Amino acid sequence: MLEQLITGFEAALTITNILFIAAGITLGIVIGAIPGLGSVTALAVLIPVTYYMSPLAAIAFLVGVNKGGTSGGAIPAILLNSPGTPEAAATALDGHPLAKRGEANRAMKFALYSSVSGDMISDLLLIILVVPFAAFALQFGPLEFAAVLLFAFALLAGISGDSPIKGFIAIAIGVALSTVGLDPVESTARMTFDQVNLFDGLPLASIAIGSLALASVVEQMFDLWRSGGESTIVLSQDREKENTQLPMGEFFSHWKTIIRSALIGSGVGMLPGLGVTLAAFLSYGAAKRASGDPSSYGKGNPNGIVATEAANSAVVGANLIPTIALGIPGNIAAALLISAFIIHGIVPGPFMMTMHGDLIYALFASMLMANGIHLIIGKLGIPVWAWVAKSPRALILPVVFILCMVGVYLPGQSMFDIGVMLAFAGIGLAMRRTGFSVVCLVIGFLLGGMFEISLRQSMLLYKSDIFAIIDSPISIVFLLLTLLILVRVSFKGIRNGRG
Amino acid sequence: MQNTVSRRTITGMAAALAATLSLGIGLTPASAEYPEKPVTLVIPYKAGGSTETMARIFSIALAKELGQKVIVKTRPGAGGAVGATEVAASPADGYTLLFAAAQSLLWPPLTQKVEFGLDSFTYVGQITEYQQAIVAKADAPYNSLAELIAHGKSNSLNYADQSAMSRTFINYIGAEEGVAWTGIPTKGGGEMVPFLLGGKIDFAWSGGIHNRYPQKMKVLASMNAGTLSASPDVASISGKYGVSMPSQAVIVVPARTPATVVATLEKAMEAASKDADFGDLLANKLKFPVKFVGSKALSADITKTAEGLKTVIEKTKN
Repeated sequence: MLEQLITGFEAALTITNILFIAAGITLGIVIGAIPGLGSVTALAVLIPVTYYMSPLAAIAFLVGVNKGGTSGGAIPAILLNSPGTPEAAATALDGHPLAKRGEANRAMKFALYSSVSGDMISDLLLIILVVPFAAFALQFGPLEFAAVLLFAFALLAGISGDSPIKGFIAIAIGVALSTVGLDPVESTARMTFDQVNLFDGLPLASIAIGSLALASVVEQMFDLWRSGGESTIVLSQDREKENTQLPMGEFFSHWKTIIRSALIGSGVGMLPGLGVTLAAFLSYGAAKRASGDPSSYGKGNPNGIVATEAANSAVVGANLIPTIALGIPGNIAAALLISAFIIHGIVPGPFMMTMHGDLIYALFASMLMANGIHLIIGKLGIPVWAWVAKSPRALILPVVFILCMVGVYLPGQSMFDIGVMLAFAGIGLAMRRTGFSVVCLVIGFLLGGMFEISLRQSMLLYKSDIFAIIDSPISIVFLLLTLLILVRVSFKGIRNGRG
Repeated sequence: MQNTVSRRTITGMAAALAATLSLGIGLTPASAEYPEKPVTLVIPYKAGGSTETMARIFSIALAKELGQKVIVKTRPGAGGAVGATEVAASPADGYTLLFAAAQSLLWPPLTQKVEFGLDSFTYVGQITEYQQAIVAKADAPYNSLAELIAHGKSNSLNYADQSAMSRTFINYIGAEEGVAWTGIPTKGGGEMVPFLLGGKIDFAWSGGIHNRYPQKMKVLASMNAGTLSASPDVASISGKYGVSMPSQAVIVVPARTPATVVATLEKAMEAASKDADFGDLLANKLKFPVKFVGSKALSADITKTAEGLKTVIEKTKN
């Protein structure tokens, strides 16, 4: 393997290749930083550009776009409290308070370093695990997915913040919203009101961008209008060193969170269909749970940024494990990469390693190189973003508002999606004002739909026989973990109740 | 003042509209000029799937033949029904085309409340055929549909479907043979493959993805009207059951599009289907056969397919 990797580096270490990777990362970060646009849109827009490149340059370019797009979403989350993508929503929870405190540069550095470290760990896992992994992935059927998702629900229940009851209500509303659309088994219409746009359910991107990003923009516009507000976003006004610098030693003092988050992100990435957003929130929830001081989260704890960004970027590399080993895309970004593979003559699937081994190892080498390039470009970009954010808020907010619309419109080219986004901006605003967690609503929506399908598939498959669980060690493990968390939470609740 | 302006604007707009309309009517017989502006090709599926990949490459060849830009627009949702609704409602002038699987145009109007019908489109041509099949793991104890049915009579079998239509067809076969098997809905080939190879299900419906796993899966029956290009020895269900699934990948335009425009498009499509890049993508990468069928033959074929669909829907109603 090492020998093949060295050959891969020989093929990948060309000026053209490095330039394409750099171009991809830059474009990815810029597109990802635009609220509403994420790596998926960036890939969809840029794939046609690669038609005339060599296969390696094209795929290295797109991998760069994917990496940059995933980390770019953190920038508006930190600076504007309006996450560019659903997966960066948890970054805003701690990143924005940190920025408000005058440590925006540090927050962006935390985000960038975590992205690159998470990505690096996940790429290494990809290179080591891609061959032996195929057999393990096949152990996951509907029952196992249902168990994993139940575990995710339990882990995320604690994310809600101050009021668990309000958090629970928000999750329940999210789950209820996820039932809109054609029934996955019977194909009967559920709450679609004969509106063909609702057959597939409410669009996730519209809900997430509307209630998280747009609601925050609108809220800030109101503040500005009512009070005159602060006309620029509070950034590191005081130029004292410790507020803009982030020494490596300080960053790596978060090594526990980095490794835990990278492993969570890689784990989620390896299982097809779970997605980047889930990884980000799972990791945030796990970091908060493991912390000695959970109440500091949501108020500017850098650990929250590290947890989110390391996990969401770790999905990018690990996602290629099922893509390469089985030809099964882990998420939409990977599906787009598959279509790029196909266009460039590489058929993904179990034979990809044997038929195109040279190219795959050159791709791995490009990915490792891309991480270094990502760090350099990302670091160069931070002063630029800080500078952009210094322009008057009255200029930035309307632009972000319009970009949210463009971002939601582009992938499906649907005015309906924009309507849903605007409606959820209103709902999000109302929830913010009344202390309900918008994040819980989005999580409930995301997990609700996935859990319903997995559960109903399992019930059909095993004829609703509960003892089918006994034959599945993976589900037993995850169900026990779920139980453990629930027991711990209720004990904590009792103890707090007494205290 | 403002009122006058707006009234004048409206009058002006109405006049302009009237002029355009009369001009349009005046030009219709002379639409040899078509196309005089870029053509939009709507793909009613998510980016990244095989249809979208195919359509993007095809659009390049089609643009060369038409001498105009072809703008690809993805409009996903409801298994293609969202894009179909949009194109059905767009002007019948040949500037909005839809590249879709025939099933997206036939199944929704027959089973759901949608705003387009079987007669909403003029079929310009077929480009290829999806390779729909009943597949099983290579080491499954049955090698043909007959053996699968025999196995199903003494065992309780589960299969993965990918749409209401695929489930209906497999259940139709089950009903004809007196076998009850359970359909497990999956979101597409990406979910079906791991379930099948992981042994979670006994057999599956496949839209063509099985061609990527020739050593791990075997084809038990063709769900197309004819045999499949990669497994010419496996019979189609049409022989025994008299029905088959819509398999055509087609380009359609809104009904009432002028015949001359349809003819121009048909000619360009036929030429574009011979494009080397497109042929290479289909044959070597997606493993679909290039199979051009012109407007007239395709329309007759579609009518026949729709009749078969009605029979299956009727018989599987409970």
